[in-house]
Order: sequence, then C-alpha cells, then structure tokens
Amino acid sequence: MTSRRSFLAGLAAASLAPIRGWSAVGAPDYLAAALFPDGTFRLAGLDMGGDILFSLPLPARGHAAAAHPHHAQAVAFARRPGTFAIIIDCATGTQTAVLEALKGRHFYGHGVFSTDGTRLLTTENDFETGQGVIGVWNTDDYTRIGEFASGGVGPHDMRLMPDGRTLVVANGGIETHPETGRTKLNLPVMQPRLTYLDQNGRVLEQVELPQELHKNSIRHLAVRPDGLIGFAMQWQGNTSQHPPLLGLHRSGEKPLLLSAPDAEQSTLHGYAGSIAFSGAGETVAITCPRGNAVHRFRVADGQLDGVFLHEDVCGLGTASNGFVFTSGTGVIGQLSTNKAQISNRADCQWDNHLIPIRTAA
Amino acid sequence: MRAFVLALSLTLPLGAYAQERGPILSDAIEAHILPGYARLTETTDALAEAAQTDCNPTSVSLRTAYHAAFDDWVSVSHLRFGPSEAEDRAFALAFWPDTKGFTPKALSGLIAAEDTAIQSPDTFAETSVAGRGFFSLELMLYDPRFTDQGSAEYRCALMQAITADINRNAMAIDADWAGYAPALANPGENSPYRSEDEAMQELYKALITGLEFTADTRLGRPMGTFDRPRPKRAEARRSDRSLRHVQLSLTTLCDLAARLSADHPDIAADLDGAFAAAIDRAQSLNDPAFAGVANLQGRFRLEALQQSINDIRVIASTELGPTLGINAGFNSLDGD
Repeated sequence: MTSRRSFLAGLAAASLAPIRGWSAVGAPDYLAAALFPDGTFRLAGLDMGGDILFSLPLPARGHAAAAHPHHAQAVAFARRPGTFAIIIDCATGTQTAVLEALKGRHFYGHGVFSTDGTRLLTTENDFETGQGVIGVWNTDDYTRIGEFASGGVGPHDMRLMPDGRTLVVANGGIETHPETGRTKLNLPVMQPRLTYLDQNGRVLEQVELPQELHKNSIRHLAVRPDGLIGFAMQWQGNTSQHPPLLGLHRSGEKPLLLSAPDAEQSTLHGYAGSIAFSGAGETVAITCPRGNAVHRFRVADGQLDGVFLHEDVCGLGTASNGFVFTSGTGVIGQLSTNKAQISNRADCQWDNHLIPIRTAA
Repeated sequence: MRAFVLALSLTLPLGAYAQERGPILSDAIEAHILPGYARLTETTDALAEAAQTDCNPTSVSLRTAYHAAFDDWVSVSHLRFGPSEAEDRAFALAFWPDTKGFTPKALSGLIAAEDTAIQSPDTFAETSVAGRGFFSLELMLYDPRFTDQGSAEYRCALMQAITADINRNAMAIDADWAGYAPALANPGENSPYRSEDEAMQELYKALITGLEFTADTRLGRPMGTFDRPRPKRAEARRSDRSLRHVQLSLTTLCDLAARLSADHPDIAADLDGAFAAAIDRAQSLNDPAFAGVANLQGRFRLEALQQSINDIRVIASTELGPTLGINAGFNSLDGD
C-alpha cells in the first residue's frame, strides 16, 4: 500500500540522528509513567534494554508524555481529567514549569512539540460545550498563546505528520464532564473521527468510520515515516460484538480496519491500549490489556501474523528490530519477528504508554 | 497465514477460583433480570393503553401509568448488555443525560413539521433516539414549552407514538431475553460468554456501572460544583422523579449484589450493610427533584448520600470483584 523504499529511507534518517540534549541523561530511548511501590507516580527514562536511567516525581497519576525534539526536556501529562502538565528537565531531574489548564478546560493526557521545539500542542476538553480543543503553548516560558477546535469531541492522542506541519488527532467522540468523573455522556450519539489539521486549526480532512461502528472510539495513534497512520480503538457498544480495534489510514483514502478471527478478537474485551509500527514499518501492533495480549498485523496485506499473551500489557513503542512493550506488572520486553522476550522487570507498574524519544515515526 | 500464539510468561492471571457459578447465574437471571423485564413489558403496555384512552397531559391515569412504567425501567436500567443494547433500545427508552438538549430539539422538530413519521411504529423507530422514550414523554407531560406547542391533535398522536414505541422496545428486550438467558446461564461455544467467569463478570460490571451512574451522574450532575450547583440538571426533575430514581436504583442494585455474593456470606453482609446505609439516607431526603442542592444544607445531604454510594463501590470492587476473577490490572482497569 505504499512505496516501501521511500519510507525506509525516511526511517533511516530519523533513527540515525542522535538528539544531542538527551545524551546528558544517558540517552534514554523511551519515557514512561509508572506507579512505584512507595505510592509515588513518576516519569521514567528507559533504555532499550529496559534499565531505568532516571525517574522524576509527578503530583498524580500520569498518562502519556512527549519529548522535546532538541532538549532533554519532557512534558508529562496527568491522566484525564487532569488539569496539569509538568515540564521536566531530564538532565537535572527538576521540574521547570507547570502548565495549568485554562478555566473550563482539562487535558486528555497527550500532546506534541512542534518540529522546531518552539511550541507545545495539547489535547483538551472545553467541557461546558463538550467540544475538543487543541491548546498552543510557547515553550520559552510555557505560556498559553492560543487554541483552536480539534475537529471533534474528546480529542485524545495527537501526532505530528512526517511533513512536520500537519497534525493528526484522534477525536475519540466521547463527551465527559469533570463534574461527572469519567462517566460517558453521549454514547448513543458519539461520532469519533480521525482529523487532520494544520497548526492554525484549519481542518484538512475528517475521517469517520461506517455508521455501525460509531461507538468505536478512536483513541491512540502511530505514524509511519511515509505518512501511514495507525489508530487504536475502544469499543463502547454491545459487548457481544467484537469489532476491529485497529485501523490504518492514508490521507485521502478510506480507512482499513484490521481484526483477528472472532475467536481471538472476542478475548480482547473491545479494548486496545496502545499502538505502534515496527522499526522497519512492515508490521503494526496493538496492546490489549483487558485481553492480556498483543496483536500484530502485516501492513502489506492486513493479515494477523502474531498473537502474544502477556498480563496487563499496555505500553508499546517502536524498536529498531520490532517493538518494545511494558506492562502493569513492571515487565519490559521486546517483540522481534517471531520472538518475544522479557528484557527486564522493574519494581513498578508501568502506565498506559511508552514514548520513544528518538522517534522512528 | 495462521496466527501463532506465544505465551510470553507464566504470569497470566489464573482462572481465579474454579468455582461453580451456575446456580448464581441462574438465580440472577430467573429472579432479578427476567422478572424486571416482564414487569416493564406489562407497565409499558398499560402506559401505551393509557395514552390511547386519554392523552391529556394532565390526565391522572396517564401520569400514573407514566410513573409506574418509568419505575420499572429504572429498576432494570443497570442491565446494559445484550438485548438492551441491540438497536440502541436502552438509549431509545432513556436518553439521559442530554448535555446538548437533543430531546427538546427533536420534539420541537417533530411538532413544528407535524412529521408523519409518528404515524407508524416502524417509521417512528427510525427517528432520533433523543426524541423517543421516557424523557421525551416527560417533556410532553410536564414541560410548559411542550404541553401547548403545535396542535393538540399532533401532540396527542406524538404521545401515543412515544408510548407505543416505549412498549415496543420493552417487549423486544423481553423477547430477546428468552434466547439470551440460556446463553448467559450456559457459557461456551454457542454463547457470547466463553466461561462462567465471563458471564459473572458481565453481571458484576452491571452492578459497578449502575453504582457509578447513580453516584456520578444521577447525583453528580445536579450537584455540579460547590460554587455552581446545577439543580436544573437533575434527572427527570420536571416530574419530581430525581430522588426516586436514586432510591429505585439502589434497591435493585442491592438485590443484584446480594445474589452475586450469595456464596460469600461475609462479603454479602458487608454489601448489605453499605446498601442499607445508602438507602436509609436516600429515604430520609425530602428533596424529590434535588432543588435543595442550591443551598448549603441540601448540598451536604446529597454529598453524604453520594459518599455512602461510593462506600458501596469500594466494597464491591475490593471484596466482590476479586472473587469473580476480575482482571484487576493497573492498565486493564484504567480505561483510557
């Protein structure tokens, strides 16, 4: 479905360039939030082998993070409906700034830095109107400099496309309000969308699933260097149906949905946690913590080519030889072509996401 | 190409406790679920009848039938799986919360256009779920914006269509349960549930989400924030049913919890005590539409009631959940 050569070339360029600022902290490969045995929530930097190079405290449970493209600086987001995000200097282990959500807004737990590192963009809920917002922050002093509509309800994950300009947003479609906790307020009329926007908020493309899948919330994203998008979903409809939880999309085309045979799909409880492309980009995988499984598919023909069982697996990142995953039991492991192995066990519970620092995608 | 399965470690949760779940499943179905839907079918039939006989919104017989049928819906409204979810039946019966005001919009649209979709049950069933069900009927019966909007004839026909549709959905759920009950009681090949644990987990989830909805939404929405209480967001406040829904839901959830914990007497006793405390609080509140949330004392009472429901949630998730093989993983519970 793509020119394989062009994206491999892009990939090599992306992964060979070391990011200078990050070497001072032992050049971590990934960031992940976790709950530690002393009850603290922390953001940790990990290397490929799963060793924790540093960990820094967070005020409450984290969700995802984003790494600054040039400096050893990361933003750690609170779990929704959190109202803070923390900027951490990973070289010194200090908190350098705190972003507080505007009145009437909360963060969803994801965000991205602009390619030049001058701006941070955050997914947010304007909860009185129930509409999604992308907040824009100046990274010099982390002041708010603007915002625009996300193109849907419940924007969750957001990524920068390989052109370095276009944003792709997973508008999950679910309306919540902090006064009613995490209660979903609009399931019968929810309409998830994959939205492509420029950084002025102009909607370039809206992608919706067929009407019978309008309760399949598009939550998490992965971007291949050639612009192919992978999206992971969470099913809010009848539990006796087992719809696909993984989709692929290329701008201008129709989305392609991938599923395991029903006997295996039904074990996932309609829930995918994270998604990533493999290092070479020929496969895409989702973690499914409720089904204790990773499902891996070939991109070329959309066929399932591997099912890996592992308790409470959720974090997933691209690795040069495949994937790296983390679990709520503290395990860090690797998936290569047909081998899966545990690299390390940390004394903590890894939270939802594993964020690559030298983004291969 | 066939998928290959690699078990990465031996840390997959074991099938918790290999217990005999059959009797509990059968009891929950026979004594909790099926009678609930049978009652709903009867009272919604009476409601549709009443609207045919007298569609004056102030009619005592129509309003009495409305309250009786709505009571029976609230008593099964936590059973959000299987037949209730097919064709969005549960949402078509009760579209709430309605954060964007879709229900009044849908009704105004029908009335303004004198939409002929109301003339046949099939075409009415194709209209927006927001314009159907008990919350639409409540507006037609109790909201002055609707009790004299458009022509009396159309309003009457609309109420007859809404009540007939409510009854039709109730009957469809009830009828589907005839087939769904054996599948839930006998998990395996021909069932959506692969094991008795999975079937138990469905019922447990109904208990947990029912408690969550009552605490966070039925109470949480009108409570709003301390600085900005939202009494007008109370559920079915126009017909003074807000508190009644909390009482009914606690009563039915208490019944389900007792059945699910039948083989763990200690847990059953803890749950029963916590439910009794919450139900006591709910019964002693004299604030049918939660209007009192706007003053300090009223707010504190609702907060205390909400806390007592949260106490039940803690017992259910820390004591009952683990006996049912619930995967209590850090990520699998997170749902984000």
